[in-house]
Amino acid sequence: MVDITETLDCTGEVCPYPDVKSKRKVKKMNSGEILEILIDYPLSAERIPETMKSLGHEVLSDEKIGDSSWKILIKIK
Amino acid sequence: MDFWYALVVGLIIGAIFGFILQRGRFCMNSAFRDIILLKEFKLAKAVAVSLVVLMVGFAIFAFSGIIDLAPKAFKPWSAIVGGLVFGIGMVLAAGCASGTTYRVGEGMMGSFVAAIGLTTGALMTGAGVLSTAKTYLQEVVIGEGPALTLFGEFNADLTPIYMLIIGIIGIILMLVFWGLPAIKKKRRANEPLIKFENFTKSVFKKGYPWWVTGILIGIILTAGYVASNGVVGITGGWMDISLWFTTQNSVMWAGFIIFGIILGAFVSAYIAGEFKFRVPKDGFMILKQFIGGGLMGFGAVTAMGCNITNILGGVPQLSLHSIVTGACIMFGAWIAAYLLFMWRDK
Repeated sequence: MVDITETLDCTGEVCPYPDVKSKRKVKKMNSGEILEILIDYPLSAERIPETMKSLGHEVLSDEKIGDSSWKILIKIK
Repeated sequence: MDFWYALVVGLIIGAIFGFILQRGRFCMNSAFRDIILLKEFKLAKAVAVSLVVLMVGFAIFAFSGIIDLAPKAFKPWSAIVGGLVFGIGMVLAAGCASGTTYRVGEGMMGSFVAAIGLTTGALMTGAGVLSTAKTYLQEVVIGEGPALTLFGEFNADLTPIYMLIIGIIGIILMLVFWGLPAIKKKRRANEPLIKFENFTKSVFKKGYPWWVTGILIGIILTAGYVASNGVVGITGGWMDISLWFTTQNSVMWAGFIIFGIILGAFVSAYIAGEFKFRVPKDGFMILKQFIGGGLMGFGAVTAMGCNITNILGGVPQLSLHSIVTGACIMFGAWIAAYLLFMWRDK
C-alpha cells in the first residue's frame, strides 16, 4: 500500500471544479507526496490523469471503484 | 406535424443524440471554457468537426430539395447581448443547454436544477417580465432580405454551394492538420489504426475520441433537421415541456427530443456504469447552477437560439447572426471562466 498524503474529494462536482481543484492542490504539495482524488464525474475522471501526466506527475493508479466513481492516485514530481 | 410522428421520431433522434452526447462528454461549456482554462482542445475540435459535417450534410439535403434552409436574420444586439449572457450563464450552470440536458440523464441533480433555471429564464424572456428587454434588443435588423449570411443575403440556390465548399475545405484541412499527424504517430508506434476486437467495449463502455464524437453529432443533427425540416433546439424543447403542463393540444417535437436526450444519456450512462444520483455538496453551487441556467434561458431566447440552435444549426448555414452569437457565447464563457477560476490564481 502506498501512503496517501492527502485526499481530494471531488464527488458531486462537475467540470471544471475537479480539474481546477486538483491542479491547485498538486501545486501546493511537495515532491514525492501522494494525492488521492475521488471523483464521480466521467469527463474529469478521464482528463485528470492526462493533465497530471502532462504536468510531469506520476499517475500511480486510476481505477473505477463503482458506478461513476473513480479513485486516482498521483505521485507529485 | 403529427403527434405520433413527433413522439416516435423525436424520441428516437433525441435518444441517439443523448447517447452520443454522453459517450462523447460533448459540452460546449467545456469546449469553449477549457480553451483558456485548461488549454485543452479536444472538445473544441469535436465542435469544429461536427460543424463541417453539418455544412456538408445540410448542403446535400438542401440541394436534393428535402430540407429548406432557414438561417436567422442578423439582429446584432440580440446576438451580442444574448450570446454574452448565455456564455456567462453556461459557465455558472456548469453546462451548456445540451450538456445540462444530457447530464440530467446521468443522474446529476445540479444539472436538473440548471435545466429548471433555463426553462424559467426562457419563459420569462419569451412572454414574461423580461420580454420587453428581448423585444428591444431584437429591434435592429441588418440586411434587406430574409437573412444575412457570410456571403451576402441568403439565397436558396447559392448558399448551399458556399456551405458545401467551406465544409469540404474544412474537412480537407482537418484531415491534413489533425488526421495525418495522428495516423503517422500510430504508424510509428506500430499500433493498428482501428482496434476491432474491442469494438463493443469502445461503443458502449468507453468515452469516444473527439473526432468520432464530432462526426456522429454532425450526422445525428443532420438527421434531426431532415426529420423536422428545422434545426434541433434545446431551450425550445424545455419550453415546450413547460407548455405541455399548461396548454392542450401542444404537439411537442422539441419536447420529445429533450425526453429522448435524457433517456439516451441514461441508457448510455447505465450501460457504462456511469449512472449515479449526484447532488453538489455545496448548497451555494446549486444556487449558482440555477442562476446560470436562468441566464442561459434569457440569452437563448434573446439570441433566438441556444448553443445547439445557433452554433450547430445556424453557423453551418453561414448565418451571420449565428456566427456572431457563437463568438459571443465563447467570449462570455471566457469572461466568466477568467473571473471565477483564473483571476484568483494570478
